[in-house]
Amino acid sequence: MIAQTRDLIVRWYSIPLLILLWQLAVGSGLVESRLLPGPGRVWDALVSEIGNGVLVYHAGVTLSRALAGFLLAALVGIPFAMAIARSRLVRNLFEPIFFFGYPVPKIALFPVFTYIFGIGTPSKIAFTFLECLYPIVVTCTFGFREVATRLIWSAQNFGAGRATVLRRVIVPAALPSIFAGLRIALPVAIIVVVITEMIGDSIGLGYYITIWSTRFTFANVYAAIILIGICGLVLDQGLLLLRRYAIYWQGA
Amino acid sequence: MRIKTTSLQHWIVPIAVLAAWEIFGRAGMLPRYLSFPSAILEALWEITLTGELFTALAASLYRVSVGFVLGTAVGIIVGLGAGILPGVRHFFDPLVSFLYSIPKVAFLPVFLLLFGLGHASKIAIIAFSGFFPVFIASRHAVLSVDRLLVWAARNMGTPPRKIFFRVIVPAAAPQLFAGIRIGLAHAFVVLFAAELIGSKAGLGSIISYGEEWVRFDLMFAGIVCFAVLGFVSDRILLAVRARVLKGQMLGTEERVMG
Repeated sequence: MIAQTRDLIVRWYSIPLLILLWQLAVGSGLVESRLLPGPGRVWDALVSEIGNGVLVYHAGVTLSRALAGFLLAALVGIPFAMAIARSRLVRNLFEPIFFFGYPVPKIALFPVFTYIFGIGTPSKIAFTFLECLYPIVVTCTFGFREVATRLIWSAQNFGAGRATVLRRVIVPAALPSIFAGLRIALPVAIIVVVITEMIGDSIGLGYYITIWSTRFTFANVYAAIILIGICGLVLDQGLLLLRRYAIYWQGA
Repeated sequence: MRIKTTSLQHWIVPIAVLAAWEIFGRAGMLPRYLSFPSAILEALWEITLTGELFTALAASLYRVSVGFVLGTAVGIIVGLGAGILPGVRHFFDPLVSFLYSIPKVAFLPVFLLLFGLGHASKIAIIAFSGFFPVFIASRHAVLSVDRLLVWAARNMGTPPRKIFFRVIVPAAAPQLFAGIRIGLAHAFVVLFAAELIGSKAGLGSIISYGEEWVRFDLMFAGIVCFAVLGFVSDRILLAVRARVLKGQMLGTEERVMG
């Protein structure tokens, strides 16, 4: 019991320590409290803005956009990756676009997206879709390509048809890579939505951060940042939970 | 013959898209904001002649390179430290695991206030966002170094310093580069956001100038430069990696990188 407590302290002391230092720095007037309000005020802002529903509303906007783009990318990207991995023609046609386009910073295309889809929700979802599509397709293609051929052969040997092989052999064998791709794409979705909301919008957490920083109310800015962090953690844990459920044979 | 049809098929989609863009754009059948390739090339030539391109490119390149090198260097040093010393690890792990899920761009308003609208704020935020992937990669890399290698070296009386530089760092290098590559990608995303939100300078200025003055060819010229800059930096990083890791990449799948 004592050893456990000690372990807990050794592992987690840095967060309370930093909060304490933060409080001391603000309390002693070393840093301007307008720019860095004390932890108490940030906490108050977080509680009151969640309580009156403002932060909840903006977080809902941001999360629904991020998830919509992310899910669209998964729905399109996973079958597409399978097609690239299993068909020579599809691979020859589309592989260069994905493998050369991967390192290109696609964020620069965002202005064009706002012209096509307007500055509201559709352009954010479309852009999130594009940004998530790349990691999902690239990671999943490797997963589908590396399915051991002998697994497919032995299934065919037992008389399994194409659909059965696909459903019972190829997809389960590629699932770990699929989840790896999704796990890379999910934080990308949140990042992209927040950035694009900061560049131009009137709702969402990115907008909330921009508007309160121009009003010099940084307690609200930090509250929103903390909320984004919590959302990211929750989504990541949710995905891990789903992974454990889907890949039950692999353990944690 | 097979190789020929394969490489031919590689070019079909990009060329078809470019050709359709050019033909329909020139004929005025596309919305004006899509411009068309030859107009974009002309705009590129125009800003090359006036020298605007080089000023903007120099500003962007300066910010992204200094910020990236700074973030990477600190990330490697702290990450290797965290991998080796449990004390450092226990201090940084909780902080990083919380901060990692936050888009670092969210801190941009704070950085703009702290460091002003010039180079410093961009460099700082790029370094800040580049630190995390590099830190995580190097921390994990050190922890996953084969213990047997370290024991063997120690058994033969190798001093700790030498174990660090001759055993741990080389063994950790491949994973380290993976983290650095992610950091580089983040650097460009943050650079773009910072240049568009924070101040109108660098390649971002060309893009927003094109938007404001309805010069969509200019806007696309800026976008093309930005994309090429990101792509070329990634290739340079891969070339450096191939040189540093010579011999360690035998038999590994190198196709992602083309």
